[in-house]
Order: sequence, then structure tokens, then C-alpha cells
Amino acid sequence: MIKSNYMNKDSIIVSNLTKKFSFQVKNANSNWLKNIFFPGKKEIVAVNNISFSVRAGERIAFIGPNGAGKSTTIKMLTGILFPTSGKINILGLDPTNDRKKLAYQIGTVFGQRSQLFPNLPLTDSLEFFGVMYDLSDDDIKKRIAELIKLFDLGSFIEQPVRKLSLGQRMRAEVAASLIHKPKIILLDEPTIGLDVVAKKSLRDLLLKINKEENTTIFLTSHDVGDVEFLCERTIVINHGEIIKDLPTEELSKTFVSEKYIDLIPEKIFTVFPDLPAGIRYSLKDKDKITVIVDVKIIDVQESLRQLLSTFKVEDIDVYNVDLETVIRNIYERN
Amino acid sequence: MKGIRLSKKIVATLVKDQVNYPSRLIIDTFGLIARCGILLILYWYIFKINGGVLNGTTFIFTAWSIFFYFSFSVLRLRDISRLIMQDIQSGNIEVLFSKPMSYLFYRIWWQVGLGVYSFVVINFFATIILILMLGIPSTMTIGIFIPTYILTFIFSAVLSLLLYTVVGLLSFWIDDINPIYWIVDKAVMILGGSYLPIALFPVLMYKIALYSPFGATLFVTHTVSESWKTNWYQLVGIQFIWIVIFVILTFIMFKKAKQRVSVNGG
Repeated sequence: MIKSNYMNKDSIIVSNLTKKFSFQVKNANSNWLKNIFFPGKKEIVAVNNISFSVRAGERIAFIGPNGAGKSTTIKMLTGILFPTSGKINILGLDPTNDRKKLAYQIGTVFGQRSQLFPNLPLTDSLEFFGVMYDLSDDDIKKRIAELIKLFDLGSFIEQPVRKLSLGQRMRAEVAASLIHKPKIILLDEPTIGLDVVAKKSLRDLLLKINKEENTTIFLTSHDVGDVEFLCERTIVINHGEIIKDLPTEELSKTFVSEKYIDLIPEKIFTVFPDLPAGIRYSLKDKDKITVIVDVKIIDVQESLRQLLSTFKVEDIDVYNVDLETVIRNIYERN
Repeated sequence: MKGIRLSKKIVATLVKDQVNYPSRLIIDTFGLIARCGILLILYWYIFKINGGVLNGTTFIFTAWSIFFYFSFSVLRLRDISRLIMQDIQSGNIEVLFSKPMSYLFYRIWWQVGLGVYSFVVINFFATIILILMLGIPSTMTIGIFIPTYILTFIFSAVLSLLLYTVVGLLSFWIDDINPIYWIVDKAVMILGGSYLPIALFPVLMYKIALYSPFGATLFVTHTVSESWKTNWYQLVGIQFIWIVIFVILTFIMFKKAKQRVSVNGG
């Protein structure tokens, strides 16, 4: 009974999911005729036996380098791709067999593609999707009014979509994906190509719909800011396998054994002597020195003692590496 | 019910789009005037130098037959092949597959929506101009003409969409369907009576046009012929049989195609 209640809270359950792609390849040892009729075959395992679950209202980042299997997974979750083996359960539905039913429950945003009518005002696209999701005319009107308010679309709602800025268009894309109040929104690179202001605005909005409508957010992105700002949990995938699934804030602690220390001089730094084992320079400047401390070799307390005995400093700052470095570290390690 | 509402919405939205940006209407109008107009002038001259009768038919029947072909082609239903190919090549198919509808249903109504505005506007004026210039042949004044024309027109549209959808679906297996599209399209044009009206076809070619799906997609061009009043049910029957065959073929191909979807290697 306890297990059943727990299961009910999961909006996505993925078990032993695998996707293999096979394609034809030219056999260099065969002649052209043989290559036409009996070509060689190559198989690629894009997703290899992954399992995870996502609770309702959670905000998940699904990250990994190019070709890691992120998009393939998202496409299997939406029913676009058929798994080779394994099971997916989204809100009690199997995407392979119940794709259309599932589409009523989920929203999708593919950052590099548009679903809006370029020549028509945004209202036309929103109305169109309202009909597609089988909402009544009254419900469509009400929902468009809600989305205009929520996404601050009022200033450009009557403009043809092709005249919108990229940031405005992405807000519109996300709004269109939410016309039917989906329980889950799956976003594939939603902030790609956006400037910092537009990125922040979109992240704020996603956070808002997560809070106000309890929408589960499942996001793939190469933008560390998306992960850091938006997602409470991160799943890292590489070579089709999940290599880590943990709270985002623990990523740094788990993967990087390095601390950064900034030293600000009393006057100026003139000499840069050799450092003890485990400490190395990252920046040598007369106004600032940054060192990287490998805490597996030397702990922070000892490294501070050594540094203070070497340099005369006015200020000192100890901090973790940024998430981008952490993620790069994870990818490179795999 | 949802299907009817969605199809109406697709068509209405695209008509609105075409009204806002009438470039396609202008292109279609010039296309029709150029292609159909030149052919009509050429045939008018050929009939004139042959004493007004060719293979037992006169210019007015030929002119309306050619016009029916071009008026039908303004719908551009054949473009569905390339639309499907573009969806697959660009990866846009993933957006459409994530929606609560059948991809083919959407694409078919989308194609209808794209052409319907140009079709209505151009044909309204072109028909009036042709009536004023040439008059109406006797075969178009009989009672069964309009209902049977509408029936075969609908069947022609459905069969065209299915035939070209099958060609488009080949994109799931072949990178570039253009050579196949080209062969099918030319077969439809020739056997449909675009440049040479079916009334002037030799017997063997007429039979090929009659029993092949390529000719059957354009039986609208037969409606003006003398034999239409006696054999229309046979022609509509042939269209119906091809529709059933292509519905089954489309269904099977699409079922297989869905398992082959792949976008950017994933």
C-alpha cells in the first residue's frame, strides 16, 4: 500500500530503457552491386538500460555531452521514438501505445524548432493549439488570457510570430506548449540561442509555472545556467548510461575535489614562489592570485596556513568551482 | 467530432494565413494563366488548322478538359510528398509527433488548407472567363454533370493525397524521394490529360490512363467528354478501388515508418 501511494506520486517511471539504432554501411570489401543489395549493418546503442523516476512537480535536468542519449530519451518519453527494450510509464500511460492520450498530459518544447504560425499573430497559434488539444472555445479564451498574464505576452500578442525577437518567440513557444495545462513539460534545449536577459526571463517563467501549476519540468540543456537556476535534481547521462542522479547542489561536492582560493595583496604581488604539493596557480597577477587546491592531497585549512605564510594578503576568498567546470569534469572523466 | 473541428481549424487558419500574405495567390494565378493559357492557344490553333475536329472532338471539349486539370492542380495536393520529406529531413516531425493527433491527418488537412484559398479565388474568376470566352459544352449541361463532377473531384483529391502521401512516406526509407516524385508526378500529368487531353489519347494509352492510379487521380478531366454520362460510375468505381488500395498501403507504410523515426541521430 505504501509502495502504491509512492508510485502514484511519480509522474515518470523509466525502467531498463534501451534504444538501439541500426543503419546501413558500405562494406569496403564488397563491390557496389553487393553494397546496394546486401549492405553492411551497424548498430549504435543510444540509450543503454537506464532507469529513473521523477516525482510530480519535480524539476529535473537531464544533461550530458552531445550524443550522450538525452534527446533520444526525451523522444522516447514523448512517444516519438519506440524503445528497443525497457518500460516507460508516464502518468500511468505507455508512450509507445498511448502516444495521443499522453500528448494531452504533456507539453513539449524543442528549442531549435518552432510550432507557431510565422505569418499570423500569436493568438492564432494559441487558438489553433487549443482546438488541437480539444479545449472548448470558452476554455481556450480563458487559458489564452491566463498565459498572456503569466508570460507577459500582451505587448506582442497581435504581432506576426516572425516579427518577434528570439526571446519573445521562445516565451510564446513555451506558452503554446502550456495551452492545455500539461502535468509535465519536456524541454529540449529551451534557451539555445537566447541572450542572457531572455534566458533569465524564460527560466523565471518556467519556475513560475512549476510553482503555480505544479508542472513537472524535465529539461535537457547544455546551458549550465538552466541546470543551476532551474533544476533541483540533475541526471547525468553519457554514452547512453546514467552516470549520476543527484541533487544539483551536490554535483560540485561529488565530482570535484578542488577548491578555489583568491588572494588579494596588501599592496601588490611581486614574486610567485613554487607552491606546496596539491596547490597550483590558476591566476598570477600583481593584484590577485587564484590557486586551485586539490583537497585529496591537502586540506583547505592546511593550504590556507601555507598560503598565508607565503603571501602577505589583505583579503582571502575560498569557493567551489562553478557548475560548468564540474560538468566538464564529469564529461571528460567519462 | 474533434477531427472535424481540428480539420476546420487547420483549413481556416491557413486560409487566414494566405489572405494575409497573398503572394501564393499571385504566383498560382500567373502559373495558371501561363501554363493553361499557352496550351489553350496552341490547341485552338491545332484545331483550327485541322478543320475544328480532332479525333472526333472539338476545341471546346479539349479546352474545358485542360482547364479542369489546371484548376485541380491549383490545389497543389501533390506538394504533400515534399512536405513529408521536409518534415523528416528537418526533424520537424518530432514536433508534430508530440501532438495529440495523427501526423498524416494533420498533414493532409494542412495541404488542403494551403491550396483551398487559391483554388476558390482563381477558379471562380477563371471559370467565368472561360464561360464568357468559349461557352459551356453540351456535356456540362446535363443533369448529372454537377453531382458527378463533385463526386469525382472529391475522389480525385483523396486519391491524389493518398498517392503523393505514399511517395512522401518513402522518405522514411530513402533520403531523397525527388526522383520517385518526379516519375509519379509526370505519370499523373501525362495520364491525367494535362498537356494532351484524354479525348486525343490512342486506345492503349487511354486504357492505361483509365486503369492506373496515375490517370485515376485526374478523372475530373474526363467529366467533359461525351462518354461521361454513360461510364461515370465505372470511372468513379475505379477511383474508389484505388482509394481503398492506397488507404491500406498508406496505413501499412505509416505503421512501419513510425518505427523508423530518427532525428539528429536520436
